Amino acid sequence: MDLEDDTTILSTLKSFNTFISRPERPQLPSERSAGSGVLQSQYKRSMEILEAAERVHSQNRFLQLDQEKKQMELSHKRARFELEKAASNSARDFEHELDRNQDLLARVKKLEGREFEADKNLSDQVEENQVLRRNLEAVNKKLEERDTKLNTANKTITSLKDELRELRQKIQNQDLVFSAQTLEKQELQEQLDLQRRKYQEILQLCQTLQAAQSSCSEHIIKIKELERRLILQEQDMAIVKTIKSEAAKVTDLEKELKRLREENSFLRESRENYNLLKEEAEGLGKKLERMEKTKEELVNVELEKQRLVEKLQAWENLGQSTGLNIRKPEDLSREVIQIQQREIALKEQNYTLNSRVRSVERLQSELRAELTQQCTKTMEEQKKREAQDALVRRLQKRVLLLTKERDGMRSILESYDSELASTEYSPQLNKRLREAEEVLQRTQSHNSEMEVEMELDSLKKQPASSPESSSSVSKEEENTLRKKIEDLEAERQRLEEQNNILEMRLERNNMQGDYDPVKTRVLHFRMNPSSVAKQQRQQEVETLREEVTTLRELVRSLQEGGGMLHAQDSSGIYTPNISLSLPPSKEVQDLRKQMESSELRNQRLKEVFQKKIQEFRTVCYVLTGYQIDITTENQYRLTSVYAEHMDDSLLFKKGSKGSMQLMETEFSKTLGEMVDLHLHHQKSIPAFLSAVTLDLFGRQTTI
Amino acid sequence: MTSTLKGITLKGSAELVAEFFSFGINSILYQRGIYPPETFTRVTHYDMSLQVSTEPRLNNYLTNVVSQLKEWLFECSVQKLVLVITCLETNEVLERWQFDIECDKSAKESSSAPREKSIKTIQDEIRSVIRQITGTVTFLPLLETQCSFDLLVYTDKDLVVPDKWEESGPQIIDQSEEVRLRSFTTSIHKVSSMVAYKRTDSACST
Repeated sequence: MDLEDDTTILSTLKSFNTFISRPERPQLPSERSAGSGVLQSQYKRSMEILEAAERVHSQNRFLQLDQEKKQMELSHKRARFELEKAASNSARDFEHELDRNQDLLARVKKLEGREFEADKNLSDQVEENQVLRRNLEAVNKKLEERDTKLNTANKTITSLKDELRELRQKIQNQDLVFSAQTLEKQELQEQLDLQRRKYQEILQLCQTLQAAQSSCSEHIIKIKELERRLILQEQDMAIVKTIKSEAAKVTDLEKELKRLREENSFLRESRENYNLLKEEAEGLGKKLERMEKTKEELVNVELEKQRLVEKLQAWENLGQSTGLNIRKPEDLSREVIQIQQREIALKEQNYTLNSRVRSVERLQSELRAELTQQCTKTMEEQKKREAQDALVRRLQKRVLLLTKERDGMRSILESYDSELASTEYSPQLNKRLREAEEVLQRTQSHNSEMEVEMELDSLKKQPASSPESSSSVSKEEENTLRKKIEDLEAERQRLEEQNNILEMRLERNNMQGDYDPVKTRVLHFRMNPSSVAKQQRQQEVETLREEVTTLRELVRSLQEGGGMLHAQDSSGIYTPNISLSLPPSKEVQDLRKQMESSELRNQRLKEVFQKKIQEFRTVCYVLTGYQIDITTENQYRLTSVYAEHMDDSLLFKKGSKGSMQLMETEFSKTLGEMVDLHLHHQKSIPAFLSAVTLDLFGRQTTI
Repeated sequence: MTSTLKGITLKGSAELVAEFFSFGINSILYQRGIYPPETFTRVTHYDMSLQVSTEPRLNNYLTNVVSQLKEWLFECSVQKLVLVITCLETNEVLERWQFDIECDKSAKESSSAPREKSIKTIQDEIRSVIRQITGTVTFLPLLETQCSFDLLVYTDKDLVVPDKWEESGPQIIDQSEEVRLRSFTTSIHKVSSMVAYKRTDSACST
């Protein structure tokens, strides 16, 4: 049944597909209408077939569902059987469980009874335990007490042992110290002896030195006297020699004297002659000068005379040379005046002519400028006109082309219209109609714009061509063009400003020294002064650094050397590891040694004094029975050996005159009788003190 | 030699410009105190008295540079000459004297005739430039620290670098004030001068 349905479905589907896949032929409008009726019938058939297919499908599904239902019922029955089996099994199990449960309950009860008995036993046991614990605690406490007692006893034993040890050590130390002191005392005595001997020797040496010095001084005085005598003798010798020589010269001098006297007389005579001759010579010389001057004057005068004669001749000839009627100088002056007047007139003419020439030149230059302007204008106008002519021609051609297109389109549309009348309208035809109409409208508008432009152009060329109407359209065009021009001008200005800014930046960079690495290269001489100077500087810096490091090490070594000396007791100097260390002088070494030795001496002396003082105080304490302490300035506190308490003490103050006065203390208050007896009546402090010791001793021994 | 001829040839122009640089650099070194004034001596040139250094090492360096510069001027391959003054302690550039050189390459052709410009006018122009350089001392900041100088030459990229020369940076001053000075031209070479100095509120500390 299903297969038959399937085959019918398949066959119908195949026929439908073949119908759809047939190629569509482009049909004329007449065939289109017939074809549509066929299509409709086919469509109806296809719809019927589809409905049949659907019905078949539904029937198929119904059968399938029936089958499924039967299968489900079968499975249901099987399941029920199984469940019943399971139920019976579970009931049997349940009965088994119940029996077991009862058994377990009986057991539980037995166990509970046993538990109860066990609890009772437990509580009894616990009570016994507590009692035992209490007994234990008491015993423990007793044990602890015994332990603490033992510990205290042990501690006392250890402390006593320590004390023993310390005392023994002290004894040993004191023995050592005593021996050391005796040794030192011996050493010091030996040194003292040495020093005394040296001192005596030095004294003797001093005395000998002084004697020698005195003898020396005497000798020196004698030597000085002898030297003085020697000098005097030498001077006398020199004087004697000069006198001898002078004596020899005397005879020569006498001869010369005679000769000179004769000459003197001769010269006196000749002097008078000489004076006379001098006067004559002077007179002659003056005459000569005068003569020479007159000669020169004569020469000059003759030259002048010649010149004047020539001048005169020239002047006389002037009249002949110029051809004028000149005999006297007055004629000449007249002629000159005339000439001058003529000259003035000519100059005036010259000035006027110059001014005229200049004005004419100016006019000429202005006219030339105007001419050039007019020429440029005409050239521009001509160019514009030519451009406009070319535009007009182009537009005319376009117009022709457009009109032809329009005619063509019109004819097409007419043909379409004629065809349209025979057949029905289809949607595609409508669309085409509309498109054609749009194209027509566009062309019409374009055409109108072209006409308008042409009119505008003709308007612009008014002086050359005939003017047109339609001014409103041209004004719109003008406005749009003006706006364009303004925009362009604004852009141009902006670009000019940008250009200026960039040029300024470029100029600035150029001034700062910027360069284009593609085109230029910067070179400099390798051994240039700045690099040389830098190298020198670096070298200087390095040398300075080295110096600094060496100096620092020196300083450190010196500081360490000084510190070491203070700590050590050596005589040697710490040698550093540098070659530049200065050897310290001997004086410094000696001074350092002296300083160390003196410090040691001081320390030893201090120790010795302290020990002596301590010894003395203990001896006093032992012998007198009082320990004397100095509390403050001039106040002495005495504590007795047999004092009952630590604070029992007597205070004595030293007065301004040197007398000792007893100050009141608590202890002294108890000794009021003794104070009265010994201090006030007997006025003896040693008696008072001894009485106090006897009293305290008596008290001690009785107690 | 060029004073007897009527016109200026390329060679003569290169010599004039090199001579100007030699005297100009010496006067700048004297004015700014890079070298002590007692090492300078007075000579007369361009109808004025100029200061020229007597230190032999400096003069040797200057003659080397100027002779090389003359060659380059003859080949028209040099664009700028810069005198850079640096502080020795901090290696900062304190001053920059820049001379822009524009060469008329048409004079390189062998067919070109010497240009008509009298030596006297060129010398007058050079004199005014050097006088202006001397006058700049009034507004340039004092160089308080030890300074040294260097000469940089901006040449065309395709030039062969000679033996003793090497490439260097432009050594531009940061935060500089620039002043443009006079220029002179020999009708073949035009030399314009300017000075850039570091602003005084950020000067090199001593």
